[in-house]
Amino acid sequence: MSSVTATDMDAPGMDPNDMDAKSKAQVEIESFSYDDDIVRKFVTATIVWGLVATLVGLIVAILLVVPTITGGLPWFSFGRLRPLHTNAAIFAFAGNGIFAAIYYSTQRLCKARMWSDSLSRLHFWGWQLIIVAAAITLPLGITQSREYAELEWPIDIAIAIVWLVIFGGNFLMTLIHRRERHMYVALWFYIATIVTVALLHVFNNLVVPAGWFKGYSVYAGVQDAFMQWWYGHNAVAFFLTTPFLGLMYYFLPKAAERPVFSYKLSIIHFWSLVFIYIWAGPHHLHYTALPEWACTLGMLFSLMLWMPSWGGMINGLLTLRGAWHKVAADPVLKFYVVGVTFYGMSTFEGPMLSIKSINALTHYTDWTIAHVHSGALGWNGFMVFGMLYWLLPRLFQTKIWSPKMVSLHFWTGTIGILLYIIPIYAAGLMQGLMWRSIDETGHLAYPEFIETIQQVRPLWALRVVGGLLYVGGVVMLAINAVMTWMARPSTYDVPVHTAARLSRHDDTIAEAPLTSDYDKDVPMLDFGRKLDIFAKMGWHRRWERLPVKFTILTTAAVVIATLFEVIPTFLIRTNVPTIATVQPYTPLELAGRHIYVSEGCYNCHSQMIRPMVAETKRYGEYSKPGEFIYDRPFQWGSRRIGPDLAREGGRQSSKWHWDHFANPSFISEGSVMPSYEHLLENDLKFDAIQPHVQAAAYLGAPYTEDEIANCEAIARRQAEVIAAEIVAQGGPAAMHEKQAMALIAYLQRMGTDIFKTPAPKGGDVPAEAVPAEGATPEEATTEENPVDDVAVEGEISPAQSVQAVIALDRTGASS
Amino acid sequence: MIKDIICSLDYSFFAEAALALFVGTFFIIFYGTARLSREAADRFASIPLRDSIEDPRHE
Repeated sequence: MSSVTATDMDAPGMDPNDMDAKSKAQVEIESFSYDDDIVRKFVTATIVWGLVATLVGLIVAILLVVPTITGGLPWFSFGRLRPLHTNAAIFAFAGNGIFAAIYYSTQRLCKARMWSDSLSRLHFWGWQLIIVAAAITLPLGITQSREYAELEWPIDIAIAIVWLVIFGGNFLMTLIHRRERHMYVALWFYIATIVTVALLHVFNNLVVPAGWFKGYSVYAGVQDAFMQWWYGHNAVAFFLTTPFLGLMYYFLPKAAERPVFSYKLSIIHFWSLVFIYIWAGPHHLHYTALPEWACTLGMLFSLMLWMPSWGGMINGLLTLRGAWHKVAADPVLKFYVVGVTFYGMSTFEGPMLSIKSINALTHYTDWTIAHVHSGALGWNGFMVFGMLYWLLPRLFQTKIWSPKMVSLHFWTGTIGILLYIIPIYAAGLMQGLMWRSIDETGHLAYPEFIETIQQVRPLWALRVVGGLLYVGGVVMLAINAVMTWMARPSTYDVPVHTAARLSRHDDTIAEAPLTSDYDKDVPMLDFGRKLDIFAKMGWHRRWERLPVKFTILTTAAVVIATLFEVIPTFLIRTNVPTIATVQPYTPLELAGRHIYVSEGCYNCHSQMIRPMVAETKRYGEYSKPGEFIYDRPFQWGSRRIGPDLAREGGRQSSKWHWDHFANPSFISEGSVMPSYEHLLENDLKFDAIQPHVQAAAYLGAPYTEDEIANCEAIARRQAEVIAAEIVAQGGPAAMHEKQAMALIAYLQRMGTDIFKTPAPKGGDVPAEAVPAEGATPEEATTEENPVDDVAVEGEISPAQSVQAVIALDRTGASS
Repeated sequence: MIKDIICSLDYSFFAEAALALFVGTFFIIFYGTARLSREAADRFASIPLRDSIEDPRHE
């Protein structure tokens, strides 16, 4: 950037009256160019990751139809690949897409080059490194199991630095050094995106590390669920909605060559979304153990979202008023029209699904998947495609290689979306109705969960066809982009612009001292004059052009709204009534829970029985908030491809679980669960359990020092008990070292604590109750016989007996 | 002291207060937007369409 000095007299179009005041002022005329190289980089990354994300999506869709296709390879199971698909789609494809949009439009809206080229490149390469780290760690089973926040803490720290410090810093400095006085509304959406995503990311991912690849959430159970869906919903709002609206408000007028229909509506759209979205998260947890007031509040604000969302959609579509003839001829506008229409559909459906009675039917079903994909494929995908096709000729300074292929992509993609979502809506409706169906005798009409899966499998197959078409469209985009790039000039033309820097103080009307219209002579209260000045809203016009203040105010809006929900959720004790018999997991169960999380079991199995007749008949006693106080992270899930596991403990024998891991479809005919043979073959690292127990203890789980110090021995003893049980039930011998032991221990524990009777108070349990090191589990439970002293409803398995020993010891220690 | 303040708060009104907060803020924003002149709104709306800077740069 270079600069020359001139007087304001040189500035064309300057009002002579204004110039009087500044005639002597020297104004710096600066020349600058836009950094389009960074936009080209992000465009390329968007296309590459778009291919990856949609291909992985296609693979996981195929896995549900043909679960054996990967031959039981653990890295390619549905549970591990689905987070890879969602992360690739959201953060790699959509993420790079919004960065391309932001870098291109921000420079032009600010009439300024990005503040730092180095920071722009650090942002680009840092973000790609994060994506690659995600692509490696997720298939390896390194995950937090928090939906859309699966990445472990070292990567989370990198995200926070790259997003907030590098990207956010560069963006804010560009705003500060802009040459356009008014910050166009698209920039407002970008500001909201940057600050809110940073807040969501940091506060949802607060963990206590238990090694380089594992962190335990500082929140547990109900509070963890609340935080996760505060994050999860707002990730959709502030990563997949607000930046795309910014994109829409910039690129749609550019493509249509018409200003946005109503700028006023866009302002209301912005503030309404920022104020409302942040409250809506609890609607993901209707009928769960989350307090009802929080759910009702979430539902109410979700319904309120209808208006601003549709205001935005109408604003987008009406921007094309008088230009609809262009839509017929221009595939870029076609992408935008369909994209904005899907935005309207999704934002109608979202609030509808938040209504409790509707949510009761649709939650955990494929309906949610259809809803998500109508938004992701239709709104996010098509808006990005439209932007890319508009940008490609401009960035590569040549014509698009094949306009026909752009049209073909549009139609293939549109048909692909419809072929995807229509069968999945039908599948969701079928699942919801079948799960709740009661026959004339008052029993479940479809008592076997597997029946409901069998019914929807043909629809899943149809989805694969839709997915294939959509991926085909992305392949066309990639080919078109490569061929266009190959026709680029040998050196890009870089236009140089000149403009004066913005003066620090604006002498214009809005910067002038605010005065009342009422003359001083008019007899009225001073308060009345002040109110008149306030009502002119000049103060708001000022705020709109001050990026730092605007950013702080947007942050305040989001933080205040969050606190109004968070404070009561965390501080009202009655929200989570404690249950005396709920105890921390044993070391082996904790290791098993770690495996459950790593394998991504939550992607198919919920652990939350809602208080509904059909659910309690199918799964048992409904879930209570106090049952989850040691669950870090919570595992309530959001989808049921398999049955709920909240009361799985004691339902099946350990041998059944062993066989089920080996070959699920043999045990449960028609199951789409893949084989987990590797859990039966690989040894458990008993010596690696201690950090998990230490982290849990640090977070408040009442483990004794002995338990922490001897957790390996305790875990081995429990594994031997389970192994012995499997042998007794006709299973293979000498399997106590295998990983499956830990997972079986965890499964057998699930949902059982609530049925135990509290140990009598004041009863000092002798230290001998703890089995001596080296004693066999049989000795531990028969010689000292502590289990006999614990009144337990129903039969307990040997695995539970070891837990009972530990639980009794705790009771004694605490009393 | 902070503990005392937190303990003395009645959280049960938070939901209603949240709604009131939103409604109040919304109407201020709505009113402020309504006061924006048509000329200024048109000018702002055309920012993406022009590649050069128009002076004077005010509303």
